[in-house]
Amino acid sequence: MPNKKGQISDTMNWIIATIIIVVVLMLFVYASSVLSKTKVVSYKGPETKVDLLETKTSLAFLINDDNKNKIEQWIKDEK
Amino acid sequence: MNKVGADKMISVYWFVILLLVAGGIFAMVYVFYHQPYDVRELEANIMINKVADCLSSNGMLNYELIKDAEFSKEFKTNFLKKCHFNFDVEEKWESTQYYIEINFYKIEDSEKSVFEISEGNKNLISSCETQEDKEYDLLAKCVEKRFYSLEGDNQYLIKILSVVRKTEKNAK
Repeated sequence: MPNKKGQISDTMNWIIATIIIVVVLMLFVYASSVLSKTKVVSYKGPETKVDLLETKTSLAFLINDDNKNKIEQWIKDEK
Repeated sequence: MNKVGADKMISVYWFVILLLVAGGIFAMVYVFYHQPYDVRELEANIMINKVADCLSSNGMLNYELIKDAEFSKEFKTNFLKKCHFNFDVEEKWESTQYYIEINFYKIEDSEKSVFEISEGNKNLISSCETQEDKEYDLLAKCVEKRFYSLEGDNQYLIKILSVVRKTEKNAK
């Protein structure tokens, strides 16, 4: 009889351990699915500091900077 | 004898756990790498840069764009060829997956476009209107950029809208 009790206790331990492992694995799978949604390659990374269009505008301002504020405001209004 | 039986049971458990963990790792890797990288925004920005490079250099508009003080219709008609664009896509798509629209404004009136060039699939613009408040992954990506350029003493404001669809390859 004491042997049987020990077996039940062992089995219970294993069942609980299995459930914990399954739950942890499911959490990890969910986390990886959430992370996979963030796989968007953005144009402005930390390493890209030069904007080509800004450079073009600056070069044009070097030639003619009349209405500079108006132009800068118009460019800022882009969506 | 009983101990041997218990040991065997534990070995089976270990094997099941091993399979579970291996399956879990496989599922994680599969879920993460099955999702494609979304490069449409990047592609739209690159397209804008290429268009801007074609239209203006060193702060001045392309000499082919304005002829005899008027915007060249020939440039508009042959825009893709002049700017070295190829909007052909893989066979899996029946329609063009790109759209580009360029509007030129005079400094005096920045609301009314004086000249417009557009190429590609015009139906894609509806995606931009839908996404004004919220972005949807399965719609085409739209990027709008503006810059300033000159032609002689004339100041021009240029607005470029670039739209890339290719949803099937970039989002799920």
